[in-house]
This record gives sequence, structure tokens and C-alpha cells, in this order.
Amino acid sequence: MRLMIQIGVLTLTSLLFMGCSVIKEVKPWEKETLAKPIMQFEGLHPEVRKFESHVYFSKEATRGGNGVSGGGCGCN
Amino acid sequence: MQLKNSYIKISKVTAFAIVASQALYAENYVAVEYLQYDENENRVSVSAPTLSASYDIGTDYTIKGDIVFDAVSGATPTWQPDTTSGASKRDNSGDYTYKNQEFDETRTAASLMLTTRFENRDELNTGVDISRESDFYGNTLSVEYLHYTDASHNQSINVGLSYSANEILSYDYDTASGASTKETSTSINVQAGVSQVLSESSLIKAEAFAISDDGYLTNPHALVVRDYNTADQKLTNENRPDTRVAYGANLKYITLLNDDISYKVNYRFYTDDWDINSHTIENDVYYAMNKQFTFGVGLRYYTQTEAEFYNGSKDYFTNQEFASSDERLSDFDAFTYKASVDFKQNDKISYNLGGAFYSQSTGLDATMITTGIKYRY
Repeated sequence: MRLMIQIGVLTLTSLLFMGCSVIKEVKPWEKETLAKPIMQFEGLHPEVRKFESHVYFSKEATRGGNGVSGGGCGCN
Repeated sequence: MQLKNSYIKISKVTAFAIVASQALYAENYVAVEYLQYDENENRVSVSAPTLSASYDIGTDYTIKGDIVFDAVSGATPTWQPDTTSGASKRDNSGDYTYKNQEFDETRTAASLMLTTRFENRDELNTGVDISRESDFYGNTLSVEYLHYTDASHNQSINVGLSYSANEILSYDYDTASGASTKETSTSINVQAGVSQVLSESSLIKAEAFAISDDGYLTNPHALVVRDYNTADQKLTNENRPDTRVAYGANLKYITLLNDDISYKVNYRFYTDDWDINSHTIENDVYYAMNKQFTFGVGLRYYTQTEAEFYNGSKDYFTNQEFASSDERLSDFDAFTYKASVDFKQNDKISYNLGGAFYSQSTGLDATMITTGIKYRY
């Protein structure tokens, strides 16, 4: 499993550096694709995403990285 | 040729108007979502109907809110007297067993967020979250500022801060009455990040965060065994440190693989001074088959190391100040497998159905079903 993590980190790091080297200036009228619902980081339904985050928050010992809003609960 | 050039110019202006309108006029909507969560071995079940809405006030303000009612029932594992060995509940005369302890709980949580857009289209998000349970009251205030660093809005930086104040009822297992005491905790969450458009069809976002918890951070329902097999053996409340400082980073990337398929990957690293480190990798693929149907699949992998004061055995703890047998603080891995389908009936109404299977190496398995309807206006 550590191999999977290492591959994932390597892939993302590569993407980051590739991205830095291939950043293209995109004009506002070229952003139709980026505005598509399937291109949103929070997915198609933010409320479903919020529910999943709450499950992970209550069943795992770590949190953070998904914005600063949101409260706690007595579940852990 | 002149006609063709004019057509291209008009098309560009039209496309710009579409994108600008999507950016400036987020849709108004009301959504109802029903969420069902069930664990294996008749452990926790949660039914959670949710109502959410978003409304634009002109072009400079958007207000969003949601309210969820959780009905939680079932059981959660902790150390208990082993009644099969003849032990009564509190005299510590018999053996102990790690088994499910039944409970019922209801929770109401609500959030409200106001987005303010300035003349340069920078955004300020201010929010409030509340959570109410019979033994937990939580209030959170948050503020986040997003600044575009270029005229084309291809790069932005964001900084956020939240403050939470909680009240927790703790139950003293050592007293026969199980008397409760009101405890408090606070949490400060700071986050900063940068987002960069890489091309017409790819975007990357990197964020760092820090969280500082202070106060009563113990699980009021979890118990540990101390001094097992001695004259002083006893079952008592677990005890965690009253401070916790965590740091982490999040890296997200999304791209369009072809006209209809998007791929998103998210990696998060987390570390804290309880000695817990975690790695999370999430992958999501969406396929917009046509204007009506969109399918999604996802795979999440999570792994964490155990807290320095965790031990799952009944014969480990003696006089250590901090002790917990809560398996959520243990060393484990977890996978989540997800699938979803969205059906857009028309421009106003859409339906969604999703399912997920969550499996921990601790033996915990759970299913999550979500279904809902959204009305746009």
C-alpha cells in the first residue's frame, strides 16, 4: 500500500511541476469547459460531498484541507 | 472570409457572455437530499434528510444555507464488563470484553454562508455553522477571502480562518450515578492555498492548513481497562491530551480526458502532535453521457498511524496519564468505492442517486446511499 501512496504522491508532484511548466494563459471566453458541472472540485453535489466528509470525520482520526467552514459533532 | 471572421468574433463574444454569466450568476436552487448510512454487525445507522438552498442577491452577493437532521442509532464498540464471566456492571470483579455499546442520538446541524463579491470580483465568504446534540453543542464562525491575481482570473489565492466553540457533556464511569459534567473545547482552523488554471480543460489547486484544538478532546463514551489482572483493575473513562496541533497539505487536480469525461485526483497529507500521520488519495471520474445523464465512479484510499496513547489491549494501561482504546485512533487503512448517476429532467429539475461502500482494516464496513432532487430557478 505504501507503494500506492508513493506512486500517487509522485504522480501529483509530477502533475504540479508539469503544470508549472505548461501553464497556458486561458482567456475568459475559453473557459466554457472549466465551467462544466463535471469539472468542479466539489463534485456535482456539494451536499453529498459534505455528508461523505462528515462520515470520514466521525470514523477517522484526522481532518482538514476541505475549507475552513463546517462545525464539529459529538461523534468522536 | 469577412463573414467567417465576423462569425468567429460573435461566437467568442457569445461564449464569453455564457462563461461570464455562469461565473457571476450562480444558479438559485433548492435541494432535498436523503442520506442513509449503515455499518455492519448492526453498529451505527444514520438517517439524514437535508434541505439546502442558494440564492443570488444581485451580482455581488450569494447566500447559501443548509440544515440536516441526523437520527443515529445502533452501537459503538468499547470495553465493557464481560457479563458472561459473571461480572456486574461496575464492581470490576470479573473480566472485560470489547463489544458494542448501544446508543441513540439525534443531531441537528445548520450552516449559513454569505459570499460577497467586490468590484475586482474578489470574494469574501463569511459563514456560521451550528450543531446540536443532547450531549454536544458546537458553534463555528468562518471567514475566507479569495483574490484573483490576474485579469483573466487564471490564478487565485485564498486565505481562510475559522473558530469553533464546543460544549460536551462528559460521563464519569467511575461513579455509580454516571454523573455528567459540562466540558468545553475550542478549535482554530487556518488554511491558505493557490489555484491555477493550466489550460482550457485542466486546473490545479494546492492548499496548506493548520488546526489547533484545545480543551476537552476525550471521547466521553469510550472506556479503557487499567491495571488488568491486579487487585486495582478497573474500567474507567479514556483520557486524551487537552491540546492537539495538526498540519497538512492538500493537492487537487482536475482535467477533461475527452469531451465528456473528467478525472479528478486529490492527495492530502496530515500530521499532528498526537503522533498521527495520514495520507488520503481520492480519484473521481465523471462521464456526461448526454444532456440528461451523468455517471460518476470514485475510489478513495486512506491510511493513518496510531495515536501515541492508543492501545487496544485490556492488559496494557496502568498509570499512564493518557490512554485510549478507541479504534479510530488506531493504525488502519480504509477504502471507499463510489458510484453515482444524475438525471437532468429539464433545465430546472434534476435527480441524483449515489452509493458508496466504505471498508476499514479494523473490520468496520459501511454503506452510504444518497438520493435527492434539485430545483433550479
